Amino acid sequence: MHPTREAIIAIIAEEARIDEEKLNPEATLASLGIASLDVVSVLFAIEDKFGVDIPQEEIASTETLGQFIDVILARVSAA
Amino acid sequence: MSRRVAVTGMGCVSGLGRNVAETWRRIVAGDGAIRDFALPRGDGTSAVTTRGPAAPVDHIDTTRIDARFDPRTLGKLDPLVNFAVVAATEAVEQASLFGHPVLDNRTAVLLGCGSGGNATFEVGYRRLFEHGLDKAHPQTIPTGMISAPASRIAMLFGIHGPAMVLASACASSAHAIGEAMHMIRAGRVDAAIAGGSEACLTLGSWIAWSSLGAMAADTCRPFSIDRQGLVLGEGAAVFVLEEWEYAVARGATILGELAGYGASSDAAHITAPDRAGIERAIRAAHGDAGLPFDTPALISSHGTGTRLNDATEAEALRAVYGEALAADTVIATKSAHGHLIGASGALEFLLGLVALRERQAPPVLNHLGPDPACDVPLALAPRAIDHDWLVSNSFAFGGLNAVLIGRRV
Repeated sequence: MHPTREAIIAIIAEEARIDEEKLNPEATLASLGIASLDVVSVLFAIEDKFGVDIPQEEIASTETLGQFIDVILARVSAA
Repeated sequence: MSRRVAVTGMGCVSGLGRNVAETWRRIVAGDGAIRDFALPRGDGTSAVTTRGPAAPVDHIDTTRIDARFDPRTLGKLDPLVNFAVVAATEAVEQASLFGHPVLDNRTAVLLGCGSGGNATFEVGYRRLFEHGLDKAHPQTIPTGMISAPASRIAMLFGIHGPAMVLASACASSAHAIGEAMHMIRAGRVDAAIAGGSEACLTLGSWIAWSSLGAMAADTCRPFSIDRQGLVLGEGAAVFVLEEWEYAVARGATILGELAGYGASSDAAHITAPDRAGIERAIRAAHGDAGLPFDTPALISSHGTGTRLNDATEAEALRAVYGEALAADTVIATKSAHGHLIGASGALEFLLGLVALRERQAPPVLNHLGPDPACDVPLALAPRAIDHDWLVSNSFAFGGLNAVLIGRRV
């Protein structure tokens, strides 16, 4: 199952409890207030929904929201 | 005279409604919340479901909490906590207590819950047992722990006094309200946020309840012939309790008095009710309130709709009140909102207090005809009442009984 970018953004909004319109891809996770626990929650939700386990190390180097989404999309699409 | 306890705020969530006004409007009109309910089995992709009657919470109104609290502060909540926070916010708003200095360190939080965050734990179990995964979400424990409702309410309202969750199965919130009353009487606090919450309509919890053999296949018919058993509901009911003079001095509107509490343990059987234990709790509550047995009262029965509970409760009521029972009015609101397990006692005490204020008894629903073993004066249709007193019964599995007494003001 290949999710859209919008579907991933919706999951991030839900898990981090941030309005979708505030989720600017250029912004850093830190500036959006997305903490490491929120990142973990997003990865759990992705695994529950798409059956794809994304190791936390893989997103450790992502700084912006856009990069974070790219890593998730790449892993889920490759599955 | 010792310190008296006033009710100055009430809030609730159940299958009947999103707040007290909506819940009362439906129950007094005889509009019950029990309906056909289904939950998907397995991974949710097949058409296989578990079906039966239940009173689920279909709508929850988070407007109040969204207006008060940042969603980032609230975090993700199990329904158990969500119900409790929504009901507590309604109660605290009604009491006009937001930001009041009494919350800081002269207020207790005492809630009753029968089980914890079933939904949260079941998501974790699915990962482990169904999908063969090896990790659970790091927030599984803090989100699902049975004490989470007390912690969240304390955090949101800035309450630094004693806060805890108390468990006694189906009597949990009645015990919590009664013990909170004693904390106020004893002078440990001047106010309490007290009540209960339960979110037990998850697949695992529902099937476990069903396998007890105590559940009805049709609906909940308290004290009726051909009653089959109980029906599960879910939700929360929360009160603001205050020391009487404190409430008067700050100009609070007093909605009723919490006048008495009696508790007992059957020490007999892990599921069967025991007449002696029930009687002991009712008598203790009357003694605590100084209420004579022959004063006409609205009796909010435990009334689960099981063969054994209702017959035993009726027997106990006849034994305690004798001939005077005829002047009482017995209601059984589980016929409308189902059995909220840990939250039942609080919701029933709340509806009983509203009934005293509105001078209306909500009808016992789904009654097919009298059972000689359950000969008590039931309100089978909405009925005008003139009682000043409420006796609200909760009798839990494992023989843990709690009876609350309320007074109309």
